[in-house]
Amino acid sequence: MNPFFMSLLLIVGLAIFGRTMVHKIRLLMALGPANRANHIKARLKNLVVLAMGQKRLVGRKKEWASGLMHALIFWGFCVLLIRSLTLYGEGFVQGFQLPFLGDRYILGYLYIAIKDIMEGIVLLMVVYAFIRRMILKPARLHNTWEAYFVLGMIGVLMISDLLYDGARYYLIMHHNNPAHLHFFNNPQYGSEFLWTPVSVGAGVFLAGLSADVIGYVMICMFWLHIITQLTFLNFLPLGKHFHVITALPNVYLKKLGYPHQKTKLLDLENEVAWEDESLGINHIHQLTWKQGLDLYTCTECGRCKEVCPTYITDKPLNLHDFNDKLKLELLDNADNIIKRAKLSATIKQDDAADQTDKIKTEMVELNSKKELIGDVIAQDTLWACTTCRACEEVCPVTIEHVPRIMAMRQGQTLMAEAYPKELNPSLKGLERNGNPWGIGYDKRADWAEGLDVKLMADDADVDYLLWVGCAGSFDDRSKKVSTSLVKILQKAHIDFAILGVEEKCTGDFARRVGNEMLYQMMAQENIETLNNYGVKKIITACPHCLNTLKHEYPQMGGNYQVMHHAEFIDQLVKEGKITLRKSLEDTLTYHDPCYLGRYNSIYDQPRSILNSISQDGLKELDRHGRESFCCGAGGGRMWMEETIGKRINLERAEEIVAKKATRVAVGCPFCLTMIEDGMKELDKEEEIKTRDIAELVAESLA
Amino acid sequence: MKILTTVKKVVDVELTMRVEDGAIVEDGMQYVINAWDESAVEASVQLKENNGAETTLVSVGGGDNTDMIRRCYAMGIENGIHIEDPALDKADSSIYARVLQMVYEKGDYDLVITGKQAQDTDSGQTGIILAEYLGLPCVSNVVAIEVLDGQHIKVSRSGDAGTEIVEMELPALITVDVSINEPRLPQMRGIMMAKKKKIEVMDLAALGVSADDISAAAPRSEIVEYMASKTRKGGQKFEGEPADITAQVVDLLANEAKVL
Repeated sequence: MNPFFMSLLLIVGLAIFGRTMVHKIRLLMALGPANRANHIKARLKNLVVLAMGQKRLVGRKKEWASGLMHALIFWGFCVLLIRSLTLYGEGFVQGFQLPFLGDRYILGYLYIAIKDIMEGIVLLMVVYAFIRRMILKPARLHNTWEAYFVLGMIGVLMISDLLYDGARYYLIMHHNNPAHLHFFNNPQYGSEFLWTPVSVGAGVFLAGLSADVIGYVMICMFWLHIITQLTFLNFLPLGKHFHVITALPNVYLKKLGYPHQKTKLLDLENEVAWEDESLGINHIHQLTWKQGLDLYTCTECGRCKEVCPTYITDKPLNLHDFNDKLKLELLDNADNIIKRAKLSATIKQDDAADQTDKIKTEMVELNSKKELIGDVIAQDTLWACTTCRACEEVCPVTIEHVPRIMAMRQGQTLMAEAYPKELNPSLKGLERNGNPWGIGYDKRADWAEGLDVKLMADDADVDYLLWVGCAGSFDDRSKKVSTSLVKILQKAHIDFAILGVEEKCTGDFARRVGNEMLYQMMAQENIETLNNYGVKKIITACPHCLNTLKHEYPQMGGNYQVMHHAEFIDQLVKEGKITLRKSLEDTLTYHDPCYLGRYNSIYDQPRSILNSISQDGLKELDRHGRESFCCGAGGGRMWMEETIGKRINLERAEEIVAKKATRVAVGCPFCLTMIEDGMKELDKEEEIKTRDIAELVAESLA
Repeated sequence: MKILTTVKKVVDVELTMRVEDGAIVEDGMQYVINAWDESAVEASVQLKENNGAETTLVSVGGGDNTDMIRRCYAMGIENGIHIEDPALDKADSSIYARVLQMVYEKGDYDLVITGKQAQDTDSGQTGIILAEYLGLPCVSNVVAIEVLDGQHIKVSRSGDAGTEIVEMELPALITVDVSINEPRLPQMRGIMMAKKKKIEVMDLAALGVSADDISAAAPRSEIVEYMASKTRKGGQKFEGEPADITAQVVDLLANEAKVL
């Protein structure tokens, strides 16, 4: 078309884009470390399934329509990327063709056909997106001019390309190709216009115009398309549409093995870390580069807040807002963060103490002038989170929200000592008596009196340790679960013992509220006890204990095979060690505990058990499985008052009531308390009984 | 302002105390700071933070009190004195008060804050006896403190009929109730700093008192023996129709309790 103009556009467009990207990447490189380079195969699989396959967009029944819309636009873009290369080539050489995609190959024809149809589909999707934003207005969407602008640009890209081809079609086929334009015309596969119905259709708009006018239209559409595309490319990194560029790498770099970055085991004895305030996240520059990439990638789609138990019940935590505020703070401080990282790098080379101090002073001066917690993120926002992970499970671009919150809580508790003081009695209980209720540790095994349960101290040569947990030991309601579980294990002739007074809280609750010191104290004592007895296999009725014992104790040298009682009971049934009667006549439903489901992917075993004891089978709640709704007690919230908005457990209890269930099964002592309390509040506790899986199984033992 | 706070180590009342041969079974027992004293510590630290004060704590007897005193350091107390002497084995409130008096007189304190009572003996004597010995004005069961100026404080005393507001001239002594505050939980930073701090441990001689002086003071009370309290048996719950229940109750009263 015009090599000079094309060169100019490309040089300017790509140079500005390159400059923006270099700055964005330098900022990421100045942030904290995160190791995400391993397991290439597993990462590629995530890339294919989650990113290319758009699993979390098309795979959610609740949102299949908008999910499909997005997926089609995305897939359309992938297809059109190749087309763009052809168009850039066209700018330099008329009739430019890519290898194997030219008119000599069927592949070339197939490509133009697919491209043509995809353009039509994308255009339709853009129209749908406009209607959705302007008329349907789903609650989670955050309508901004940026969203409309980008949709508009996508529309322009499609229309310009379709009209460009439509104009070519008219000139070539209806005006005898006055400019001798190149087009696919292979004797075997015919003219390209037999393959491009949408473009030909677009040509209809040009019918009746003179060849000259159509020629102008063609040239205008060509350059409009190129200029829009380069503008689009340069616009992307500036706002939420950066995800077009960062989503694929972000999904590829997703945490593997465990749902998100595990809470960092802090070296509390490290005096330098105390001086540098580098325990937990206290300043924006302490995010890891992956957390920075998460912020770049947040698309503000609002799926996170839509499933968030705190947002739904009117707490101040709005994750999309949370991300946005952090991103703004990050970008506002970008230059200083980069300078800071450079200064930090010079320290390592220089050993003189006074020099180091001087540099550190300079570094402190580069800290953000805003308090991360207080000015950027409000206290109430930070402490609202129940760490339920619903947000992470639905995020299409796999943003890890919870680890950030955990690290900020560590910073607040350790460095600023600014945690909710209402936690003190529970924390003190943990410190003194190893349980958040603060009940004398000597009463820990009282529940087992008369049940003929062995103590490890008396016989450590057993197959399994039954980890009772604080609730199962001290909470009257949960003690019944412990008793039921013992009944089941005894019926199956399982050789097990408990630690009795030697067991302490795993420290889960302390860790979730950022009290790393107390967590490490608990973990260290427990690991010592467990390792002394040579414990290998652990069964527990508490998903929080399960999660901590299984995933967090290895960080401190405690490696055990840990099973939740639902897994173990399911195994006992399958092995024929216990037989269950289908004796339950109630309408039974199941509430997935977050730390069992989303944290440990245990969804099937509880259902398998419940289906084998219920006559009518399990009736699922609307929010179940991966998208189950938190009871409100996770993340240390069990030990805090819920004073803002509606109570989370009430919201869940109402859902259960609406489902007309008469019995609700749970697999977590906290869920048991919360759901039962919710039922009491609704005056439904007699009609709808809340029971742990173990209790239901114990009643149904044949 | 210089504040002296007294702390006592007591058995953790959350634990079930077992008694054998008239003595408490030590096995499995753990000792913690008396809750009222913990509130006294918190009150001192708050005065230090809000009004500027130098805080010193003193504990008398109880064996090795290092952990407890370090915990108080971690809460914000600056100096710690521990008086340990075999002569204190059978000390009661009046002896404690006598020793505390000597500690007080060695310093130049403006305000003494003690817990209202201790969780082990619940006698609530030490603070007020100490005030008597020192001839200081004393307000007990304090639930709020306000510093008026360098010479005066205003305290609220929770009484049966209401709250008394009392202005006191310093030096003075107050005993505090647990409701005065929610003691802070020592955090890592404080705990690390506390490890480096010294505790001044001394016996009676070092304090300038002879053991004989203490013996001469003779305790006003003596623990003769510990006895386990009788636990009440759980009640019996009857369910069903009132007529049936009545019959059951009558039967049990007549045949089991034999009171009818």
